[in-house]
Amino acid sequence: MSNSYQGNFDVHFGALRAEGALQVPKGSACVLCKGSRNLCGKDRCPLMVKFYSRSKTRRMIDTLDLAGMSPPGIFVGRYGYPKVEIGPLVPPIMGDTAMMDTPELWVGKSIEEIVDFRFSLVRGKHRIDAFNFEKGGRIVDLTRDLALSNNPLEVEAKFLKKPSGRMILDDEVQPFGPSAWLRDLSVGNPKYDQHVEKAYYDKDLKATQAVRELYRDGVMISKIQKAFSVGAFGIGKNRRFVPTRWTITAVDDILGKGLLKDTRYNPLLDEWRVYDWYQLDNRWSILLMPTSWRYELIEAWYPNTAWNPMGREVEILSDHEFFKGRKEYAPIGGCYYAARLAINELLMKEGKQAGAIIFREAHPGYIMPVGVWNVRENVRAALMTEPHRFETLQQALAHISGRMEIPMETWIAHSGILRDFLSQRRIDDYV
Amino acid sequence: MFHAKIKSEVLKGIVDVVSTLVDEAKFNMNADGFDLKAVDPAHVAMIEMNVEKGAFEEFTADETELGIDLDKIKEVLRLARSGDIIEMKQDEEKNRLVLNVGNITRRMNLVDITGMSDPRVPNLSLPAMVEVTSDELQKGIRAAESVSDHIALTATPEDFEMYSEGDTDSATLRLPKELLLSLECEEQVKSLFPLDYFSNMVRSIPAGSAVSINLGSDYPVKLEFEIADKKGSVRYLLAPRIESD
Repeated sequence: MSNSYQGNFDVHFGALRAEGALQVPKGSACVLCKGSRNLCGKDRCPLMVKFYSRSKTRRMIDTLDLAGMSPPGIFVGRYGYPKVEIGPLVPPIMGDTAMMDTPELWVGKSIEEIVDFRFSLVRGKHRIDAFNFEKGGRIVDLTRDLALSNNPLEVEAKFLKKPSGRMILDDEVQPFGPSAWLRDLSVGNPKYDQHVEKAYYDKDLKATQAVRELYRDGVMISKIQKAFSVGAFGIGKNRRFVPTRWTITAVDDILGKGLLKDTRYNPLLDEWRVYDWYQLDNRWSILLMPTSWRYELIEAWYPNTAWNPMGREVEILSDHEFFKGRKEYAPIGGCYYAARLAINELLMKEGKQAGAIIFREAHPGYIMPVGVWNVRENVRAALMTEPHRFETLQQALAHISGRMEIPMETWIAHSGILRDFLSQRRIDDYV
Repeated sequence: MFHAKIKSEVLKGIVDVVSTLVDEAKFNMNADGFDLKAVDPAHVAMIEMNVEKGAFEEFTADETELGIDLDKIKEVLRLARSGDIIEMKQDEEKNRLVLNVGNITRRMNLVDITGMSDPRVPNLSLPAMVEVTSDELQKGIRAAESVSDHIALTATPEDFEMYSEGDTDSATLRLPKELLLSLECEEQVKSLFPLDYFSNMVRSIPAGSAVSINLGSDYPVKLEFEIADKKGSVRYLLAPRIESD
């Protein structure tokens, strides 16, 4: 960090505080700590992480007229649905920005890096009716062009006021920076992905089929999600804009269910396997069982992690399904569907059927949520590694115990699948 | 070779009982009817079924094995009304099954049966036997459903009990000897079962049937009943849950 940067500290801090970007709960220890003493128990101060990342780009986005290369990225809000705010994500830089909105490329990056480039993405806002967008005008058309474009596009956004507001953190959606209402928007010439374009012009193709076909053609999930959210797929009259947050889970669910139609009837795996993984201070162990399809995600949030900021004890959450799948939304959230997709990709590749239990410990270094991609891409990465192989459940659980802090009895108490497996007898036991 | 005609409601009864556990099944045809054995994908439950040719309006078959996708049969059943006759014919050349209902013809590929070997049937001696109407069982299940995801079946020399216990609530259906069709039990036996399986099995039993329940302690339960106007018989087997503390 340069001296001039340090010298500007007070100016930046004052400006950020004035616009409410750095809010601190009343009576919290933050005022005593000032990011230096880790009084909250987190590894790094989330306010400082935000502050540094904002400060680097702050002067570049303090403008009514922002030009930059969109990765391409867009955002569709969910508040007020079906009257929602849509618009581009634009960074104040030119060049190849594609990585900034391609979570498939983020595994291995630190929280600081991710926060840094994500918070430089300014969100332009324009309110539309999600159902009646065809007559939405230029901004709607250009936002859709952006979503369907294969390559980064030059964008010039003219704002009513200078971008402001807090950075957005969400467990499902990847973070992004301040926002401003759009006065006008211009976007360079998009080059559509040929597969996406074909689905876009096919107004008799159902959205679920479009999503599955594009996936089979090798289109990246983040690309499919963007197109899905601007109503690019489905029977003509059913098309609508879909909030980004809902889109992510919808696409993960459609693809996971699609793969399950096949993997559910594959021959069973013939061994117990455990895949281990560590990233962003999250510990993962993925257990594959030589059983029919069943699946569970168990997450343990340590005190002072993103979703357990005030707790004194580890919070453990889990959801599961058996062979027939589930009908209600999994309360644990979009991560359930993201990880289920990753598991079924492996089963598809190997032509096997298996049960799967994902054990996740989120330790205090996981200071802020970075989006559901974190779960999907890390489970994918874990499943690329060489697994440990075992002959019995007991051996596999002993291995997992050695990697996790939480005792196995606690995991079992929170696991519907393990409790069922340990108590339910099989017909074969009596032959 | 297989060629038969059957009333739609009889076919529906057969399909419902099998599709409770599996989506595809191998029907072993012979000159006198057919039989079938299958376990569900999780290997928790099993079905054995025999149906005589008398259950059909017309029936001719050589010894042959047909792999059938039950969802497809259900689709045809949705086109039929009660009392309609459905004609079924094996097309050996094209390896298909052809169904006729009214003026509709539906042709379906047979399922590949390599790898669909008959499961081995456990040889169990279960000490207690309770005979009860399927309607009573249905009541017991309805009472249990909102309470827990498993159900305990208990037989004593005096009564039969279905009991389920959740975190806060519990539900019991107690049937004294007088309300049972018969009861053979020398000492108390009790086993615990997954409710979703048990309830799906009981639901597929035709209303008003007599069901005989063979029960032991921490042992599988066997449910026996008749279908197709007593021209067919079904034996369900369900493995227990054993809670270890």
